[in-house]
Order: sequence, then C-alpha cells, then structure tokens
Amino acid sequence: MIEVTNLQKSYGNLEALKGLSFKVPRGQIVGFLGPNGAGKSTTMKILTCYMPPSSGAVSIDGHDAFEAPIEVKKRIGYLPESTPLYSDMTVYDYLVYVAAMRDIPAQEQDARVRNISTTCGANDFLGQDIGTLSKGQRQRVGLAQALIHDPPILILDEPTSGLDPNQIREIRSLIKKLGQDRTIILSTHNLTEVMLTCDRLIIIHQGAIVADGTPEELEKQEARNPTIILEVGGESLDATAVSAAVDALPSVNSSANRSNAQGRVSLSIEGRDGADIRPDLHALAVAEGWSVYELRRDALDLEGIFRQLTRQA
Amino acid sequence: MNKTWTIARRELMSYFNSPIAYTAIAVFLLLAGLQFLYGFITPGAFGQGADFFEANEASLRVFFEGTPLLFAIFLPAISMRLMSDELKTGTLELLVTLPVGDMQVIAGKYLASLVFLAVTLLFTTPYVLTVAWLGSPDVGPILGGYCGLFLIGATYLAIGLMTSTWTRNQIIAFIVAAMICSGLYFVDGLIGNVWESTRPFFESISFKAHFQNISRGVLDTRDLVFFLSLITVAILLAAHSLESRKWKA
Repeated sequence: MIEVTNLQKSYGNLEALKGLSFKVPRGQIVGFLGPNGAGKSTTMKILTCYMPPSSGAVSIDGHDAFEAPIEVKKRIGYLPESTPLYSDMTVYDYLVYVAAMRDIPAQEQDARVRNISTTCGANDFLGQDIGTLSKGQRQRVGLAQALIHDPPILILDEPTSGLDPNQIREIRSLIKKLGQDRTIILSTHNLTEVMLTCDRLIIIHQGAIVADGTPEELEKQEARNPTIILEVGGESLDATAVSAAVDALPSVNSSANRSNAQGRVSLSIEGRDGADIRPDLHALAVAEGWSVYELRRDALDLEGIFRQLTRQA
Repeated sequence: MNKTWTIARRELMSYFNSPIAYTAIAVFLLLAGLQFLYGFITPGAFGQGADFFEANEASLRVFFEGTPLLFAIFLPAISMRLMSDELKTGTLELLVTLPVGDMQVIAGKYLASLVFLAVTLLFTTPYVLTVAWLGSPDVGPILGGYCGLFLIGATYLAIGLMTSTWTRNQIIAFIVAAMICSGLYFVDGLIGNVWESTRPFFESISFKAHFQNISRGVLDTRDLVFFLSLITVAILLAAHSLESRKWKA
C-alpha cells in the first residue's frame, strides 16, 4: 500500500510538484502519464527515497520514506529512467552484486540470479559485459535487478522508452505478468501502453494531478461521445450523398470524411448523448444498399483527453 | 559493514576489469623505479656528495622522499572516478536506492581505494629486497617509511574521494584533488621559505613535515592525529556532499 500525501518539491524557484496526493492499493498497476517535465520522475525519485520532498509525506506499508528509508527501500524495486547500470561489469556479476546489497544470503544468490534472469529473459547474455548490451537487453537487466529481492512494489520510470515495437511488446507482457501479484507504478508517454498494461491512470501536468482513474472512467469523465469509424462502398457511390444521409440520422451529431477513393467512402462519426450509434448506421447502410467494409468504435480516445488535460495554460 | 565491503568489492572489480588500474600502477612503478635508480647513480642524492655505494648506506631514503609527491598525482587519478563516474552515468540513483546508508556508500568506496593503495605499495617491495640484498638496511626507517606512505596515501585518497563527490567530471575531480594534495605537501617550503615568520604554522599543516617525521621511524601521535583527522574531515565532507542531493530544496 502506497500512500502519498500532499507532495511538494521545488528546485530553486521551480515548483516541480505542487501537492500530489494519491493512494495505491496492493496489486494495482498504475500508469503515470504526462508531458516531459510534468513531475513523473520527480515523484518516483521521492517514492524510492532518492531524495525527499520539500514537504508532504510518503508512506509505504506504513513506513515513512523520510523516517525509515531503509525499510521503504527494501520493499521497492526501482528501474530509473535510462537504466543506469555499471557498463564495466558482466550481467551476472552485476546481478550478484545487487543480490548481495539486497541482503540475499550468499548461498542463494546464484540461484536467485538465474531464476530472475529466466523470468526477465536475460539468461542468454549473463556472461556479457553490460556495456555491450543492446537497449532491450539492458532493459531486461534493469528489470532483473529491480526484481531480484522479489519486492512487493515495483517502480519503473519509462520502462519501454527507446525500445523497438517487438521489445516493447515483450516488456509490456512481462510487466503484466509481474503485476499479477505486485503493485507497479510505471511512467510513460505512450498512451497505448497505458491502455494495455495499466489498471489505473494518473495524469500529471505541471506538477499536479489532473486526472485519476481507469482509462474507461477517464473517458466518461470527459463526457465525450465515442467516435465511430464507418467505411462503405458501392458502385457509383457519392461521398457527399453518403455524408448527407449519415448526418440526417437523428442520433448522429456530426460526421467527417476520412477518405474516399474508388467507390469507397470512409467517415468518422460522432453520436449524440453518448449513445452507441452503430446499429443505426448499419440499418442505414442496409437501407441504402451500401456494402459495409468497416464499422467500429474508434480506439479509446485517450489521446484527445490527454491533449485536452495537458494543454499549456 | 557487510554492505560496505560489498560496495568495496564491486569497486575493486571495476578497477581490475579496466585497463586504468594497470596503466596507473605501471606508470607509478616506472616513475618510482626511476627515482629509486636515481638514488643509486647520482652522486649527492644521498647527501654528503656520496652515492649509494660510496655512502656505504643501504636505505630507501630517496624512494621515501619522492613517492609522496608521485602519490599526489597518482592517487587522485585513482580516486577521481569513485563518485564522479556514478554521478555521470546515473548509477548513483540505483546505488542509493538500495537499502544502504550514504555513509556506507562512501566508506565502501574509500575502502576499495585503500586496498588499491596497499596493492600498489606491495608492488614496491622489490626495492626493499634489492636494498636488503645489497646491504643491511635499518628496518625501523623502512617500516616507518611504509607506514608514512600508507598514511599520506590514505589522506590523498580521502581528499580525492571528497572532490569526486563534488563533480560528475573526473578530470576536474582529479585536478582539484592533485592541487590540494601537492599544495599541502609543499606549503611549508613555498610560503614558509618566503615569509619566515609563518614557517611554524605552515610546517604544522604541511604533509611533508608530518610525513618526514613518520618516515624517519619516529611515530609521534601528533603526526598520526594530523593525518587521521584530515582523513575524517575529508570523508565526512564527502558523505555530506552525497547527502546534499537531499536538501536541494
């Protein structure tokens, strides 16, 4: 259980955090979302006892981060932004070192290192120097060192930045797996990532929380109508006629033309009053004799929410 | 204590995994060896216009007199990376978020550099053996000389560790530490000679004066206290500077 109360942090004149408060229950995966410089990393540095806040309190399982940093550090596995590792050590030596620093008895260190390397997929390059690893491999080692003491809480600062799409998918599924029995806080700029991995989303902007909830809740909160994508086709189909027919439906608020080519018309349509307008659209297509190529609800429109919430004041 | 040693062990592993340690030791031994040889071949190096054989004296005086100055350059080169490297690569963030105290981090780093110093001194034992083979040197001054070298070296390393916590740039850490070390070594000769009345004061803070006492085989508590208190101050300042990240509010 993580409890953050009225966290404030200033660097000189710059107010990085302006009173953050939130609670994270056991077993939740929370995504911190926000533009660069919003205060995500600062919050994580305070949670991990790298530095204290200017004011406010952090308590982890009832231990105050300022009063009992060692107790707090023991419960947390941390992967800082950009994964700083000692490049002149081999992966194995490094993980054994972290295991020793994490109070794992000498006789268990080897087994633990091999075990966690298997989980994180770092087994194949245990003997390599960290300096020679690719970005994806480094990230695996970074995760392995954060997990070596089996912490109940994982804090990951941009765990997928700089990775290619395949690596991102692998790390993401690893995080999901780890999140089954752990509390995880991760930060990212990537909206897809948050939707796919996180139970809950905290959007931070200019040092303050501007939204907090599940992705679905946030959408509702914004009271936006879902956007529907409709693509129809037919011989000698007229784009303006299609738009006019769609707009004429009582449940449709507005529509916009996405593309039209070779007897195909694609529209993006917004309904009214939050209603699902897909049945209406289907009925219309049938009545007009259009062939339906696509009829779907647009992906959760978090991007729009994000843009709206984090617009520069 | 356990974690202090774990940190020290990792640091030593880094030293001996990289060519830096070997290069630095090689250069130091080369210069120290030249200096040792110089004592052999140069008339007057041992005073009274006599060389090693003519003076009929088997000692390591020239070696013990020259090495503290070599150390003032060599040891800051060893200590410069201790914290600067962690600051530069960001590994400090992982290190201090492990369940250790800041003081344990500093102590571990310092311990590693002391082990390195001891290894370096071990490599100079051939000089002792040579002298012992050529004549029958007094054991007292040699033991005293090594104690003195270790103490002065430990002081340089503490100063070097301190400057290394101040900057992420190793070169700056090195230059500042080398200047402090050599400056404090020479201070009585530089200022004391010009301004005679200040001589006693500068002698009391000069490394050279304190070192010479010990290397003569005279183990005075005043000299011991001098070096140990400098080490303590430098180490505390280093820990202080590591902690300072916490009050940049």
